[in-house]
Amino acid sequence: MLRPASLRALLGLALVALGTVAHAQQVAVEEFSLPNGMQFLLVPRSDQPNVVSAGWVAKVGSVDERPGITGISHFFEHMMFKGTDTIGTREPAKDAKYRAEQKAIRDEINRIVWTTQYERFNRGEIDDPWNPANDTQELRVLRGKLDALIKAQQGRGDGGPASGTIVKDEFDQVYTKAGGSGMNAFTSHDLTCYFITVPSNKLELWAWMESDRLHDSVFREFYSERDVVHEERRLRTDSTPTGRFQEQFDAMFWASCGYAWPVIGWPSDLNSYTFEQAQEYWNTYYRPGNLVGIVVGDFDPAEAKAFITRYFSRLDAGTKKPPPVVTLEVEQLAEQRMNAEGDFPPAIEIRYHTVPAGHVDSYPLDMLSEVMNERTGRLYQGLVEGRGVASSARTMSDTRKYAGLFAFEAETRGDATPEQLEQAWYEELAKLQQADLPERELRKVKNRVAAGNYRRLENNMSLLVQLAFADALLDWREINDGPKKYEAVTAADIRRVANKYFTPQNRSVATFRRK
Amino acid sequence: MNLRIVALILALGVVAALLFSPPKRSPAPPAAGSGDQASTAAASGLPARPETLAFKPLAFTPPDAASFRRVLPDGTAVYLAPSHEFPLVTVSITFKGGASLDPADVPALASMTARMMREGGTQQQQPAEFDETLDFLATEIGVAASETFTTATMNCLKSNFDESLALFVGMLRAPAFDQARLDTAKARAIEGLKQRNDDASSILSREWKRLVYGVGHFESAEPTDKTVAAISKERLAEMHRRIFHPGNMIVAVSGDFDEQDMLAKLEKALSGWERGSAAPDPEAPTAVLEPGLYHVPKEIPQGKVVLGMRSITRDDPDAIPLLLLNDILGAGGFTSRIMQQVRSNEGLAYSARSTLVPKVAYPGDFRAGFESKNPTVALATKIVLDQIRGVRDDLVTEEELETAKASAIETFPRQFESKPAMLRVFVNDEWTKRPPDFWKTFRDKVRATTREDLQRVAKKHLDPEKMAILVVGDWDEIAKGDLQGRATMKDFFGGAVKHLPLRDPLTLEPLP
Repeated sequence: MLRPASLRALLGLALVALGTVAHAQQVAVEEFSLPNGMQFLLVPRSDQPNVVSAGWVAKVGSVDERPGITGISHFFEHMMFKGTDTIGTREPAKDAKYRAEQKAIRDEINRIVWTTQYERFNRGEIDDPWNPANDTQELRVLRGKLDALIKAQQGRGDGGPASGTIVKDEFDQVYTKAGGSGMNAFTSHDLTCYFITVPSNKLELWAWMESDRLHDSVFREFYSERDVVHEERRLRTDSTPTGRFQEQFDAMFWASCGYAWPVIGWPSDLNSYTFEQAQEYWNTYYRPGNLVGIVVGDFDPAEAKAFITRYFSRLDAGTKKPPPVVTLEVEQLAEQRMNAEGDFPPAIEIRYHTVPAGHVDSYPLDMLSEVMNERTGRLYQGLVEGRGVASSARTMSDTRKYAGLFAFEAETRGDATPEQLEQAWYEELAKLQQADLPERELRKVKNRVAAGNYRRLENNMSLLVQLAFADALLDWREINDGPKKYEAVTAADIRRVANKYFTPQNRSVATFRRK
Repeated sequence: MNLRIVALILALGVVAALLFSPPKRSPAPPAAGSGDQASTAAASGLPARPETLAFKPLAFTPPDAASFRRVLPDGTAVYLAPSHEFPLVTVSITFKGGASLDPADVPALASMTARMMREGGTQQQQPAEFDETLDFLATEIGVAASETFTTATMNCLKSNFDESLALFVGMLRAPAFDQARLDTAKARAIEGLKQRNDDASSILSREWKRLVYGVGHFESAEPTDKTVAAISKERLAEMHRRIFHPGNMIVAVSGDFDEQDMLAKLEKALSGWERGSAAPDPEAPTAVLEPGLYHVPKEIPQGKVVLGMRSITRDDPDAIPLLLLNDILGAGGFTSRIMQQVRSNEGLAYSARSTLVPKVAYPGDFRAGFESKNPTVALATKIVLDQIRGVRDDLVTEEELETAKASAIETFPRQFESKPAMLRVFVNDEWTKRPPDFWKTFRDKVRATTREDLQRVAKKHLDPEKMAILVVGDWDEIAKGDLQGRATMKDFFGGAVKHLPLRDPLTLEPLP
């Protein structure tokens, strides 16, 4: 058994060793581009034999949307699994006809809802313009026709299976039969990412499948899939204790920029997207110049490049460039507060506007968050143990592509109130504003960050997701460069950002109380 | 870039946890190339369909546990799997027994013991000093109790291994269970109890366990304010003596190390640690599930539903056909029948699936579930039950079985994909005495399974008449059914619903 004295003797060594480790970390990424502009990041490694994790990122998210089409990035993510003229149908021409007929009817439904139903809603005659229970006779007939067409396309209508043209979820079946696993995708504010793990010998299949859907997606089930997304909204937002309050807090916190609306979109927009809007979005954001493929695992890079060239070269470079996101977040001039009551424990969240990813202050802000977190962090010591007012407490520095936020969250313990949590946070903050962080404490946090950087890279899929975020927000090289920037943060940097961003007029406070 | 990815992300689907095969499934035949389907792929000189691609064979032989197993002089089993890609080492020690060892009067005692091992300091160091030392070394230690095992894991940089191992083993051998930290942990546990009814899914899972395993078995036992109050240093120390000793543990080490060096270090670290006998196997629950329709009130805009029955043990001869069947029915992701019908065709739910949990010591459960807006809860329930009847009444299609089998076989190597994952399999197999030829013969058994096998096990193990249907939500809204009158809750068990009370989150006594 080591005694404390001998441990202390060892700490000095550890300090040096960790610093060296942080600088040495380099993920060997091979970059590769096609003439159509699509870029690829290849990371061959053999520690996990026989499997490859592969995916691609579209550098588009909810921040690129606008009122009227909020949530379309996420809806697109669903559309990308609905197939092409080859995958997902047994009769492409007939299927296209179904889709055109559905579009004509749905356009008419939308036109009536946006006029007649919105007017009735504005006059107070109906409670929800989109609820079928409030349909006019004309709408009821149209909706009946649309449902009948959808059923016929699925082979579940009056014409029976013979009238159907869809092969349901064929995209998933093909991968499944080939040993693909973990097929999924996610949408965030800044990016959309699609990924799967396949056996090493199936990389060509991946290239076939992904280039097919990037070449030729037809937005099948463009209307019926919205019911699924509405259920997703109910599940994630409406039926969770704090879901809708979080949405409201976001909308309050962000005044002007595109982070104000939820990734899943506002319900009325979700009902309203038109086929033309989807096509415009596709032609703008899903062209090869805005895409990055990522392959991590047990594969031969030369062979991978051959497959990639063979299949992804079919993608048309297109003519539209994604427009710049121009609306900057305006400066907040006064504190904002929101008081929520519901089925949740008394709690608090305090947010501050900060900086985008890659900003020189983002590194000390991230480190400041690390100083607060974990068992030896200041929040556990000060709020959970010291004052005994919190059952848990945490901060996060969320620096996105165009703006950033810093959040403090805590739940009460016993009879403590959200106000006590708020007061305790300001006291902990003041300590960092008034004095430099002790050297040993900073060293400790840097050690943890350096080791964390390794841990995040061990797993193929985790590395893929790290590369996706790095490249969509900044540049994939941040994976290798970031650790050095964190290592270089000083106590003075942390004190400076603590004073610069954590001001009363720059904060928004949400209190939560049990109803 | 953030140090932790915190961005809100919405994934396409909820990925179901599976036993030994990941996502699967398939339905209708893909009618290959029909005239106008010569498609853009062929036009560009690429294969017209993915089925036409040819792949190099990928040979895989499951690793042999014995070749990774060593035994220390004191008899402790150690599995070693070095790899040198990253300068990190992970030591994971699995102890037999978890919640299964909880005394009847203190549910979750094993879980609190595990937590306090990490939080309560050691005989050598006060808790704060212990935490500070580990954090400075950037060493992570975690201890957690599950139903039947307790696992302690240490992950450190290679350069800090000796100090980290000393701290880790010191903690395991002589935890201090500091009183102030215990008081904090108990207060936090109480705050957790208060939130038990906030999210409907936690109500659903609590009541389901009570129905399936009965009250009085550890599977369904949950702490109350009184049982949390009853936890003392003495009770923790008693549980510690039962679980944490070399007679009750198997060690696994992965990462960057030398094998002989590691064995010597482990031997030294464990020397003199008194060896007791292994903890007993978990006891089987005696309760029998009463079929019927059950409801717990909660005002949410969506009803949450689970339906199912007790099923099989892991080593049951029907396990492989039943897992393949479950894959086709609802565990196989997007193209499983339940997902296709409830989500893709009808748009009634975002997530709909079935789960089969074969337990080792006694039969686990089969259950299907989904969340749907109030008016369509009955319709979705009906569709799920129809799918279950469908696999009893008719053979699954050749196509479905072929896809399920191909997926099980093709994804089989993923069990052993990373070194830590492989070691987890070895340790679990040793503790649970899995038949030694299981992995060697698994793929052949899958290949040999027929559609008739699937129908036989469906008839034997899935019976809607013997199932319970549990609904959490707003009953008045849910009972009415959908606007078109396609289904109401009267369609199940004649609408004879048993209203279960919502329980006080602190005491679990029924609320008025």
